[in-house]
Amino acid sequence: MAELALPKNSVVKAGKHWPAPGGAKAVKSFRIYRYDPEAGGNPRWDTYDVPVDAVGPMVLDALIYIKNTIDPTLAFRRSCREGVCGSCAMNIGGRNTLACTHGWAEVPGKAVQISPLPHMAVVKDLIPDLTIFYAQYASIEPWLHTTPPEPANEWKQSESDREKLDGLYECILCACCSTSCPSYWWNGDRYLGPAALLHAYRWLIDSRDEATGERLDALEDPFKLYRCHTIMNCAQVCPKGLNPAKAIAEVKKMMVDRVI
Amino acid sequence: MTSYRTPRSRAAGLGSAKHGVSTWIAERVTSVALVPLALWAVFAALRVAPMGYEGAVAWLHHPLNLTFSLLFAGLSFYHMGMGMAVIIEDYIHRRSTLVTLLLLNAFVWFGFGVATIVALLKVALATSVGVAL
Amino acid sequence: MAAYEFIDHTFDVVVVGAGGSGLRAALGAAEKGLKTACITKVFPTRSHTVAAQGGISASLGNMGKDDWRWHMYDTVKGSDWLGDQDSIEYMVRNAPAAVYELEHWGVPFSRTPEGKIYQRAFGGMTSNYGEAPIQRTCAAADRTGHAMLHTMYGQSLSKSVEFFIEYFALDLIMENGVCVGITAWKLDDGTLHRFRAQATVLATGGYGRAYFSATSAHTCTGDGGGMALRAGLPLQDMEFVQFHPTGIYGSGCLITEGSRGEGGYLTNSEGERFMERYAPTVKDLAPRDMVSRAMTLEIREGRGVGPKKDHIFLHLDHLDPKILAERLPGISETARIFAGVDVTKQPIPVIPTVHYNMGGLQTNYHGEVVTLKGKEPDSVVPGLFAVGEAACVSVHGSNRLGSNSLIDLVVFGRAVGLRLGEILKPGASQPELTAAQTDPHVARLDRFRNADGSTPTAELRAEMQAIMQEDAAVYRTGESLQNGCNRLQALWQKKSDIKVSDRGLVWNTDLMETLEFENLIAQAVVTVESGNNRTESRGAHAREDFPDRDDKTWMKHTLAYLDQTTGKVKVDYRPVHNYTMSKDIDYIPPKSRVY
Repeated sequence: MAELALPKNSVVKAGKHWPAPGGAKAVKSFRIYRYDPEAGGNPRWDTYDVPVDAVGPMVLDALIYIKNTIDPTLAFRRSCREGVCGSCAMNIGGRNTLACTHGWAEVPGKAVQISPLPHMAVVKDLIPDLTIFYAQYASIEPWLHTTPPEPANEWKQSESDREKLDGLYECILCACCSTSCPSYWWNGDRYLGPAALLHAYRWLIDSRDEATGERLDALEDPFKLYRCHTIMNCAQVCPKGLNPAKAIAEVKKMMVDRVI
Repeated sequence: MTSYRTPRSRAAGLGSAKHGVSTWIAERVTSVALVPLALWAVFAALRVAPMGYEGAVAWLHHPLNLTFSLLFAGLSFYHMGMGMAVIIEDYIHRRSTLVTLLLLNAFVWFGFGVATIVALLKVALATSVGVAL
Repeated sequence: MAAYEFIDHTFDVVVVGAGGSGLRAALGAAEKGLKTACITKVFPTRSHTVAAQGGISASLGNMGKDDWRWHMYDTVKGSDWLGDQDSIEYMVRNAPAAVYELEHWGVPFSRTPEGKIYQRAFGGMTSNYGEAPIQRTCAAADRTGHAMLHTMYGQSLSKSVEFFIEYFALDLIMENGVCVGITAWKLDDGTLHRFRAQATVLATGGYGRAYFSATSAHTCTGDGGGMALRAGLPLQDMEFVQFHPTGIYGSGCLITEGSRGEGGYLTNSEGERFMERYAPTVKDLAPRDMVSRAMTLEIREGRGVGPKKDHIFLHLDHLDPKILAERLPGISETARIFAGVDVTKQPIPVIPTVHYNMGGLQTNYHGEVVTLKGKEPDSVVPGLFAVGEAACVSVHGSNRLGSNSLIDLVVFGRAVGLRLGEILKPGASQPELTAAQTDPHVARLDRFRNADGSTPTAELRAEMQAIMQEDAAVYRTGESLQNGCNRLQALWQKKSDIKVSDRGLVWNTDLMETLEFENLIAQAVVTVESGNNRTESRGAHAREDFPDRDDKTWMKHTLAYLDQTTGKVKVDYRPVHNYTMSKDIDYIPPKSRVY
């Protein structure tokens, strides 16, 4: 049966409370999921009090503040800090998003609760294992398929054909969508998930690509594609404002177009 | 136990089943068909309810009533069967349980569907009586 | 010292870094049948190339007549004549082919009505040798780097490049001046790895995070430069640090120069379009060093905007919202999130922000690292290549033109692949590695892992960033640079008192940031020392005490060596190449640089 409770070793226990440095009064609490694979034991919730005057507006600013001044052992991924690299995707206040573009003041609740992307194996603290997510992306063959010869200059593409790629190519592979999708939680091993399928559509709809049929063949599968039940969490959480559900619907329409 | 399969191999799984679009179309077609059929069924139920047994039997003798009844029953079970299969596939991961439940589901919707159709036909094909549409 | 064991790998080529240049080099090597590994500390599409916005320069001529000679002239002039003209010729002549190749791989370039690649205007790019701005920069909206990086990663998945993702490179394995591989630490399980390779390609990017405020990602810590300095190699032209004129005030996030290419302009507190005074011909499309200096002067003279009069406005609000949505959607979003500004109605508050390092590992135009050996300035370091921002080919000289970095990545990434194909034999036998070669690498890791001083890494890093921000800014003086040297030397000594709290090996980001800090401070030190040494103003190196360019004394590349134990810097020089690659164009002699 579907698992309704966390396995014993994944139950999150109460953790440590870290007071604000220097006894600052105006603080915001951050309740953060901690897991250290080398120490063993269950994950825990640590609470950090962050002085509001000392920290920038984004959740990532707060995480960096915590790491720099309170607890250097806190581990999380980050890079560009402007919402284009997709490193710092995590679950913040119950919602998958990027820590770098999400203001901590907007997070509902008394404490800002931060945990790794849901339903993924946790490597350490806020770092999930995304290996299979990446492999699923690779499996849709995210490169242009053409038969030689190539033109001496560029492949021509009309402005309107190029416009079809808008809302698709901007994906940053942060995995917010896929890990917010219940269908992906249930069948993440067989369902490709919204991110990979959005990319699949990006290549299907590229006027320069010559492998549309093969691409559709590879996707026509009760699990790889048709596990999308239009739950729409993907579209709701995408930090780039993309709509993977719509892209998946378009793929399904293409499937119909070639039989009717 | 550690699996040494590569991530790509795990992502590819058994490859594409190269089927799914016909099921997807069938789900949509039956959904669309069931919208008017369900409205009709409500309307019919309200109409038949005060008729009593004799009246209901007579009502079913009309070819249109019979046709719609058969369509409604058949498509409902078919649609339900597809829906249940998806739910089972979503939630059940142990292979033996999954296959057992899918079989059970198929038998149930097909069995109950056939039984319903037989019942409708049996009533409708009995001696003709007066017709009220 | 705890026991550490290496897991061994043998490849023909190991590329370190999976940004634009690393991926292109890895692809090129794999295409030549070489067994190629690409090791990277972040998943490839998270490399900093992803943040490049405006575009990639190439004289395609899609928007009107263009010529590679014009592109070459602009690049030479932009470099303030410090660029090596043979390399510049190689780059601009190979640029169109490199862009078409990217397009064939699937980069979603914006299009012209004729279906060709759209090109926009960029700073310092002109027609007919400086006559007027030209549209030469190929763009995928304002997400060109993102589009390129994702496409190149996709392409590399179709080739046989083997990726080692989230492996942190520790040090180069050197044997008698030859690079024979690299060591790395695998973050997700804490194991150590030893890569033996016929050639090692450093594509590790810049070290923007040596500064407090930079458009660079947190991961831009110049790990390749740090490794090279530890291996006893010099770094070239490190005094030249580019400030991008339009980083968002406060957060430092980048607003592309393409915004001015599409018609945006800068104003001061009097609402004046002040660039018209500084660069009458190209105005807001002057090269970055000039715009950054102009902005700094305006602020200094009390014409800055905001309550503290300490920044400048970038106006896009006069542009058609449709154009903004189509061509500049990314920066519209960034400005909304990080400055709270609706670009269709309000100006963006901006300030010059550290953006790019012209300096790096000196290479020839094949990407081979060269060094000064006796009297020979172009002596190849066998087995070692560098490419991208980590390298100094030098095509950018003392100031890079916008959109010349993306073309640098792919042209020289490709060049490295071609060169590797020429000089290596796939599967050729390699010497055995010895423990003695890598013991210092392990010792360094172990020392920091167990560092139990009193100053946390973050504190030392913050101090370094403050020093760089104050003493090696847009304008420098002998006094500020000397002050920077002294303060950094003192900080270098404090390194022995560093404190690392996390003792683990799995995703120990405390340790990783410490190793990165050591790479950063090494380059910070050579940056200020090189700057202090160069007593002239050229390109991005603007000295108030020496306001003029001095070609007689300083038409040469700085080479800076760092003594790891003392933190002392030794400076030497390489001549600037005063010749071109072919006979198709003559050496462009220096003249005064006005726009």
